[in-house]
Amino acid sequence: MMDAASQILFGGLFQGSLYAMMAVGLALIWTTIGVFNFSHGVMMMLGAYIAWQLNAWSIPYFIVLPLAMIIMAGAGWLLQASVVRPMIGRPNIVLVVVITTLAAASLIENGALEIWGPRSKQLPTLIAGNTEIFGIGVSLHQIAIIVITPIILLALWLFLNRTRLGLALRAVAQNEDASLLVGLNVTALYGLAFAIAAALAALAGIFMGGYRFMSPVMGADPLLKALIVVVFGGLSNISGPIFAAYLIGFFEAICSYYFGLYWTPALLFAVLILMLMVRPEGLFGSRARGLA
Amino acid sequence: MPLLDVENVSKAFGSLRALDNVSFRVEPGEIFGIAGPNGSGKSTLFNTITGIPFGPDRGRIIFDGVDIHRKAGHEIARLGLARTFQRETSFDKLTVFENVLISATYSKANRSPEEQRRNAVEALDVVGLPRSSQGRLAEELSVFDRKCLMLATAVAMQPRLLLLDEPASGLTKPEIETSIELIRRISGLGVTILLIEHVLTFLMSLSQHLLVLNQGQVLALGDPRSIIADPRVVEAYLGTRKAAV
Repeated sequence: MMDAASQILFGGLFQGSLYAMMAVGLALIWTTIGVFNFSHGVMMMLGAYIAWQLNAWSIPYFIVLPLAMIIMAGAGWLLQASVVRPMIGRPNIVLVVVITTLAAASLIENGALEIWGPRSKQLPTLIAGNTEIFGIGVSLHQIAIIVITPIILLALWLFLNRTRLGLALRAVAQNEDASLLVGLNVTALYGLAFAIAAALAALAGIFMGGYRFMSPVMGADPLLKALIVVVFGGLSNISGPIFAAYLIGFFEAICSYYFGLYWTPALLFAVLILMLMVRPEGLFGSRARGLA
Repeated sequence: MPLLDVENVSKAFGSLRALDNVSFRVEPGEIFGIAGPNGSGKSTLFNTITGIPFGPDRGRIIFDGVDIHRKAGHEIARLGLARTFQRETSFDKLTVFENVLISATYSKANRSPEEQRRNAVEALDVVGLPRSSQGRLAEELSVFDRKCLMLATAVAMQPRLLLLDEPASGLTKPEIETSIELIRRISGLGVTILLIEHVLTFLMSLSQHLLVLNQGQVLALGDPRSIIADPRVVEAYLGTRKAAV
């Protein structure tokens, strides 16, 4: 019994942390700009590959992490400037940006295939080794993910809620015209949102690259998971998807333990559909967007 | 030199000419009223001046000697041009203080964080919003308080020109009286005001000059008392002279 509880608790925390890290960037872009970034998965992949490349050049790993995030922040800004910004203000922007970001995703994925080839790669773990907690063996890399994720999310919350720049992002998320009228450079803030989201995606990619094999198509499944988390948590803010990520993590851990790995996705989708029938705005969402 | 010089501004939406060669000048320090029936182009005129969400198709807009009609919305705001909306749009999920602070922070460069905070507090004092309301979300305020918050947001920008779009809409008579006093107080701070209003008595009690728009064109421009007696203006508002009587 104790063993089951430990496995569910650890599995839930680990999966929840990963999902939160995958989804928070996607939610940040949706709440700020009102578009879905379908390149988010490949940004995770690209972040992981850039970290792998930097590591292959013998750069110390504690420098690789922030450096990869900074490079990816630049890539996020570039992505926004090239395939999203030109579409702002056009009719059907949500659908148009789905297409443009999917096109960018395909370009980046195939570019990675050209540069790094199809052979699987793996990143070093954040912390090497294993340990035993409540009778179950766990890797220190997984524990690091569980510990680092809330710290990153707290830092993001503090940035959004305790800094003037964060205040500006929250304002743009609510009312673009009013933001322009008070002197906010909305275009630059959109770029900032994409840069932060890409840096967070890179971190999620690095987390994944440390415990499973990397390939250029590794972003597809995390993108789907991030979309599920964001829709489940609610599209109106970024705190909803974060709570939802942990809920889904625990839900999957319970389902995996009692019904097996193969039944878990089907059960998750069943719960998602039921929840959307009852609360179309998401579990923690409201009808208005806002970064809170 | 006028603070605002609007020269032959036109704006069309398909075949509809929302503004047709509109020209007028606003002198520094004055309250300039703009009247007109529904659909006459008043709010479109404000949109083209601020560039949000669109600028004019033709014509020039000179603000304080600077041609602004090709500038981005936030650049125009930073030049010292503020605007309020007919609907009380603020940042609903931000607190009252955050709403004002964001204006004080981003409307002008080179202000220290302490100055920005001080400006925000002073702006709330000018419009009379109690300090106890500073921590409340904007969406929790009454219609009148939200209008006051919008004014405070504009005042915190320390604008040279303030565009007010129907500030009296949706207010009770006592609230309208308070609004008139409030606009006079803001004008007393040296802010030039361009005022759209449907309630003519409101415009008459505040404006030094009055412009009347009808179907996107300037119908009359000049002293408010003579304008209000103009038969063309009466007809535009009430349909026929007989109806006006």
